[in-house]
Amino acid sequence: MKITLTVNEIRHEIEIDPGETLLDLLRRTGYKSVKKGCGSGDCGACAVLLDGRAVNSCLVFAAKADGSTIITAEGLEKDGDLHPIQEAFLEEGAVQCGYCTPGMEIATLDLLTHNPNPSEEEIKEGLSGNLCRCTGYVKQIEAVKAAAKKMNKGAS
Amino acid sequence: MIRTQLKTYHCPDDLKEALTLLQQGGKTARVIGGGIDLALHLPPDVTALIDLSRLPLSSIEASSDGITIGATATMTEVLEHPAIASYLNGVIVTTLLQVASPLLRNLATIGGTLVSTHPWSDVIPLFLALGAEVTLVGEMSERIPLSDLYDSRERLKGKILTVVHLPKPAAGTAAAFRQFSRTGFDVALLNCACFVRVENGRCIETRIIVGGTPRLASSLPKAEESLIGAALTEEAIERTARIAQESSSVGDDRRASAGYRRELVYVGVKRSLSEIKDQLEEAKR
Repeated sequence: MKITLTVNEIRHEIEIDPGETLLDLLRRTGYKSVKKGCGSGDCGACAVLLDGRAVNSCLVFAAKADGSTIITAEGLEKDGDLHPIQEAFLEEGAVQCGYCTPGMEIATLDLLTHNPNPSEEEIKEGLSGNLCRCTGYVKQIEAVKAAAKKMNKGAS
Repeated sequence: MIRTQLKTYHCPDDLKEALTLLQQGGKTARVIGGGIDLALHLPPDVTALIDLSRLPLSSIEASSDGITIGATATMTEVLEHPAIASYLNGVIVTTLLQVASPLLRNLATIGGTLVSTHPWSDVIPLFLALGAEVTLVGEMSERIPLSDLYDSRERLKGKILTVVHLPKPAAGTAAAFRQFSRTGFDVALLNCACFVRVENGRCIETRIIVGGTPRLASSLPKAEESLIGAALTEEAIERTARIAQESSSVGDDRRASAGYRRELVYVGVKRSLSEIKDQLEEAKR
């Protein structure tokens, strides 16, 4: 079957298998920031924005994404400039091996879009679907706080 | 991984079309909301999915009768709705925040959750306690108590759950939910949801539900009846929690032993009812 979807502002018309997941579709289309971790919705490494909300792409049938707008971590930077969330993750040292980072950043984007000034508890809840096996999450929480500051500054 | 057994993925635009596809597909077709369950485990005989997300079924509306939630509203949409935030002291919000992760709640639908019949579901016991009703549409449309949906697997056969109805809370009502799990992300070892309506200082309506026993959530009628006509005192709560513990049927599975679960029934009911007592006292002030 054929579907159309917009990924990072690029429109794709693409032949898919009815039993294919959005994760597999995105990776074979070249969006390699979308990582396959657990494949069962536990780790969040495959998170993408699906029509504005962060979801585990491993649990979304590709056919469901027909007509939708997707943002992956590749779509965060604009014209070579890093997104404030990416800058904050770098500056705060929230990246070690990097495998969880794209998913963490997508979850952060969803959180800060809907709650521009989250409390520490809300940040923890916002990242609760993203596992990191390198750190103790402290740096990521700091990074989300820093990203919120940068984004609010940019908005005002 | 491609589920090669899946031959067709339907996205019908209207309910009639969805029902026709379901009736034609029989055992080989499944209706999905978010599709999480079937993306994880696709039964071997399923070859077609009918995705409801194109149907106009995701609105959440408050009226003088209560709140209606469209079956394809996601958990996040429910969680963020102002009418839900103010419903019975925000019990739905505090419960849903304990369910899975934001990433999953952005995908999971309320209808999908209620028909999934997962024994450890947190949403099913809460909605049973709240006295929710559901509309099922087949050849005819019917509105039934949510508890009737779980009477028999046949109940939903050839039908689609379209709307969830929450009654408007009467004066003197409160509800509470408690869940026990190994970590915040794990599914419940046991959970408990309670609802009490007090009039003239006496309980006149009670619902005490336990789930993850490890069977599907169900009410504890003996415990519910024991509170009727009584004032919601610490002694009454203690007595009811003991009756709940004695009358509940709990079992072993890989997550927890029956003995541990029996203790959790007592603690869960006691804490839920104590919170209800506090809420009702707070409301009086």
